[in-house]
Amino acid sequence: MTKCDSYDAIVVGAGHNGLTTACYLAKAGLKTLVIEKNEQIGGAAVSTELYDGWIYSNCSYVCSLLRQEIIRDLELPRFGLQVVPFRGGVNLDGKGNYIGAYPDHYVMRREIARHSPIDVDAYDRYYQLVMRQCRFIRPFLLRPAPDPTSMKPRDIGELIYLVKRMYDIGPREVGEMIRFWTMSIGDFLDEFFESEFVKAKFAGSGIIGTGLGVYSPGTAYVLLHHYMGDVDGSLGAWGFARGAMGAISKALGAALEEAGGEIRTDAGLGEFVIRNGKVTGVALENGDEYRAPIVASNMDVKRTILHHVGRDKLPGDYVKAVERFKIRGSSGKLNIALDAMPRFPDLPENGEIFQGDFACNTSLEMLERAYDDWKEGYWSSGPYFDMLIPTKIDPTLAPPGKHMMSVFVQYAPYDLNVGGVRSPNNWTDEKRDAFAECVFDRLSLVCPDIRERVLHAEVRSPADIEREVGLTEGNIFQGELTFDQLLFNRPAPGYAQYNTPIEGLYIVGSSTHPGGGVMAAPGANAAREILRKLGKTTAMPTVADDEF
Amino acid sequence: MAQSEKRYDVIVIGAGHNGLVSAATLAKLGKRVCVLEKENEIGGMARNYEIADGLQAPRIAHLLYNYNPVVARELGLAEKIDKAPISTIALSDDGRHIEIANGALRYADGAEHPDAAAYAEIRRKIEKFGKLLAPLALRSPPDLSEGLSLAGAGEAAAIAKLGLELKMFGKKDMREFLRIVLSNIYDLALDEMPDGEVAGLLAADAVWGAWAGPRSPGTVFLLMYRYAYGADPSLPKRGAGAVVDAIVDVARSRGVEIRTGAAVSRLNIKNDAVTGVVLEGGSEISAKVVMSSLGAFPSMKMAGPQHYDVETVRRLRNVRAKGMTAKVNLVLRQEPKIGGVSLAQIAGRFVIAPSAKYVERAFSKAKYGEFPGAPVIEFVMPMVSDAAQRGRYLLSAIVQYIPYHLKGGWDDAARDRLTALTIDTLSQYIPELRENIAHVDALSPAFIERETGAPGGHWHHGELSTDQLLTVRPVNGMSRYAFGVRGYYLCGAGAHPGGGVSGAAGRNSALQLLKDGVLS
Repeated sequence: MTKCDSYDAIVVGAGHNGLTTACYLAKAGLKTLVIEKNEQIGGAAVSTELYDGWIYSNCSYVCSLLRQEIIRDLELPRFGLQVVPFRGGVNLDGKGNYIGAYPDHYVMRREIARHSPIDVDAYDRYYQLVMRQCRFIRPFLLRPAPDPTSMKPRDIGELIYLVKRMYDIGPREVGEMIRFWTMSIGDFLDEFFESEFVKAKFAGSGIIGTGLGVYSPGTAYVLLHHYMGDVDGSLGAWGFARGAMGAISKALGAALEEAGGEIRTDAGLGEFVIRNGKVTGVALENGDEYRAPIVASNMDVKRTILHHVGRDKLPGDYVKAVERFKIRGSSGKLNIALDAMPRFPDLPENGEIFQGDFACNTSLEMLERAYDDWKEGYWSSGPYFDMLIPTKIDPTLAPPGKHMMSVFVQYAPYDLNVGGVRSPNNWTDEKRDAFAECVFDRLSLVCPDIRERVLHAEVRSPADIEREVGLTEGNIFQGELTFDQLLFNRPAPGYAQYNTPIEGLYIVGSSTHPGGGVMAAPGANAAREILRKLGKTTAMPTVADDEF
Repeated sequence: MAQSEKRYDVIVIGAGHNGLVSAATLAKLGKRVCVLEKENEIGGMARNYEIADGLQAPRIAHLLYNYNPVVARELGLAEKIDKAPISTIALSDDGRHIEIANGALRYADGAEHPDAAAYAEIRRKIEKFGKLLAPLALRSPPDLSEGLSLAGAGEAAAIAKLGLELKMFGKKDMREFLRIVLSNIYDLALDEMPDGEVAGLLAADAVWGAWAGPRSPGTVFLLMYRYAYGADPSLPKRGAGAVVDAIVDVARSRGVEIRTGAAVSRLNIKNDAVTGVVLEGGSEISAKVVMSSLGAFPSMKMAGPQHYDVETVRRLRNVRAKGMTAKVNLVLRQEPKIGGVSLAQIAGRFVIAPSAKYVERAFSKAKYGEFPGAPVIEFVMPMVSDAAQRGRYLLSAIVQYIPYHLKGGWDDAARDRLTALTIDTLSQYIPELRENIAHVDALSPAFIERETGAPGGHWHHGELSTDQLLTVRPVNGMSRYAFGVRGYYLCGAGAHPGGGVSGAAGRNSALQLLKDGVLS
């Protein structure tokens, strides 16, 4: 028997953004339902037991960008969210050298001085410039992107806010900002540092999750997506969610249920029900139907529009804009269960850098070459990885004495090239194994006994991530972070304020401004738009303003 | 002892086209100007030279793109230069070439091309948006440091005017402009058409002279810059050197003195103000103002870094100018024959860029300082129809990507490799080329730097990327031509708006220094 219930609002997809939207709507008094195709909520922010006794953040794996305003509005700590800052990190060259990252500024200076005395002062200038950009951009994350073609007072007001802030920082600093926002991370680092190894350490953050190389203009800005967050107000810090990333989703889910919202898992969307250009509800794959005048999709814009709405119901220009929106799979992941802590012969034993992330970037050229492989449809022969050992901070994630590794790997193509044919179907078990071997080879450079320590390894190609989570091409940001896809261009010009041409249908995931990174900002901003339309302006999420 | 010569109002260092335009513009307003050129010939990158006995060839630039009609009108060049737009042939591996003539794209044999409409739409947009931005090239970059004063209002009004014009486009084109202006040509083309010669041509046109591949964001802007005065290049009669000759005529007729073989070794500076220059022989020439058409960094060195603060020196050192373009001139014994190209079409521009991927792959090698497997080439045979040179034929090729920072350096062997690579690539389309060659001149980016003073041998003296444009060109805080020391001005392609044989930087800097009152 099929069911048919009515709600005020339905959210499709229980990722962190969908849950955030749902929380705000439920708190404003709307009868809200969240449907999720998987058996657990969280989308890409989940904790999964992949191997008996090991709890993984099996997609996204670290937390920093989750907006404090949202944590406070929704009282997430009350629902169990605890973010533990991790300390440091390290980049190794595989030849005995390493450069650690330390939260103590003077320790960090001494560490850089080991590699280049000149780069010590460069580091101060670099860090100050990046932090100034962070402070500039942070208030914009929780504000809607103004439509420059619009004459509506609110859009003009937002534009004036932007111009005023630029006026306040002065023309010289605006010049620096224009440069920073449009430069490549490689060129940006070349301006500051002389040591290739120091540059390589900082470069990773400019390319994570993108389909761009370190010398592609616009990647310096991507750096901000890794620096503009904070852990409890400590700007630029990163942390682990205790209990793995699923803890964020669980807290959001609990907050939602307390506010009276409902969550239905194992409930995959069939299609949006649309009558006369208005959404009236959703039809599930199992035949159930739910009605609501407001439907918010947490899926990326391509999946929402091209798979579940139907081109015939939409203006041609909009469909075209969605089709050309670039969501490029460029990264894979390995989740590895270890029977003991592996050895890192090049590192001091039990240093605090073990509690941070590891990379093996030898030079900018190595990173750029990794990108070149990907452009041709191959995974990088010398891949960039961002590896963490979360059990060094949260030992409860694995049985006593055992460890785990989370290895984010870039670049890996979605449509793998085999013999000149590019297709996601080329990701066979054999290819996945070969990809893993390539990553293990790279890991072995810094951790020679890694292969002997492995009890179990889960290998996830971009195609796997797409299949499991629903992210198009497995892209972690639900869309490239290039200027043509940011602000008022995200996800499509004219539809950048979470709306779509279908009345009542909203897009609330990371395909919208300000993009991905477990920020929850798109979800909160979308809730604000929905509540504004309903006239519930007192229940809207906090609007960020100048904070420093 | 150094001897002092008569005093000028303005000395211009470098007789490239920008330096000459500066000189002519100032002379027109009654200023006494002297141009000093270290080489024995005038014209820099835009000059002609005698490649073989009695045969003139364009040294580097061989076509006009953003030849600026305003500059030409102001200087009265228009009637002196005989130029006509030419067609473009995008060469195809299978012999089915594509021709663009009078804005329309079709197969070279006259048949309809399936991507003609997509090409026309991209071209329409790029030309329209380029035209919108074109006025920016003819004024100093906006100065916002004036804030809310009267002077500041004037600057703000200029920006508001641009915004208003953009608004007049209507929502659709305005949104399209804001979407694509910082994006890459690879996606823009391949969103509309399959990869092939048409996409390859657009990709190549976006990256000529640049350290950027088609996938690099910012390449759509480069295409707008190039197409601002129309997408079809024009070929001046007697080569690009004819433009320089015309500017020289105008300058001389107004009393500008041009000295060749006069290399400047440094500036004379007293009390933080320029008083003249010292030539390499030791003689001094005094002037109230010195303009330099060299790149920004060499211009700073000429004044001496002690006159700049550390931060400025750091910024100047970081100006990116990594040349990626070489020039190869061939003298041929017979008229070259290209399969699938008619006699009438041979006077056009030829582009070897069979796909956007091909262009990207060439860049992917060169960015590491290696020769590309197959370079992207633009060639013209400018003298084919010129009766005076009958019996000998010239092929003028721009070859990209050829890195300035070549691994192993630019020695004779490297130059021979450049020659061989160019001839190999051309031979795939011109089968009898090799036997037909009488003489080769291959100019590497390193050679171009040595000869013209352009940093890195870069056409624009500095990459035309968003982080080096407008208010941050050549560097943040120095965009309005005044170059650190009172009375010292930058007038070359390193300044706003950049290169191309447009003369805009030379003109703008001359007008700016008059406005600044440094001559009074």
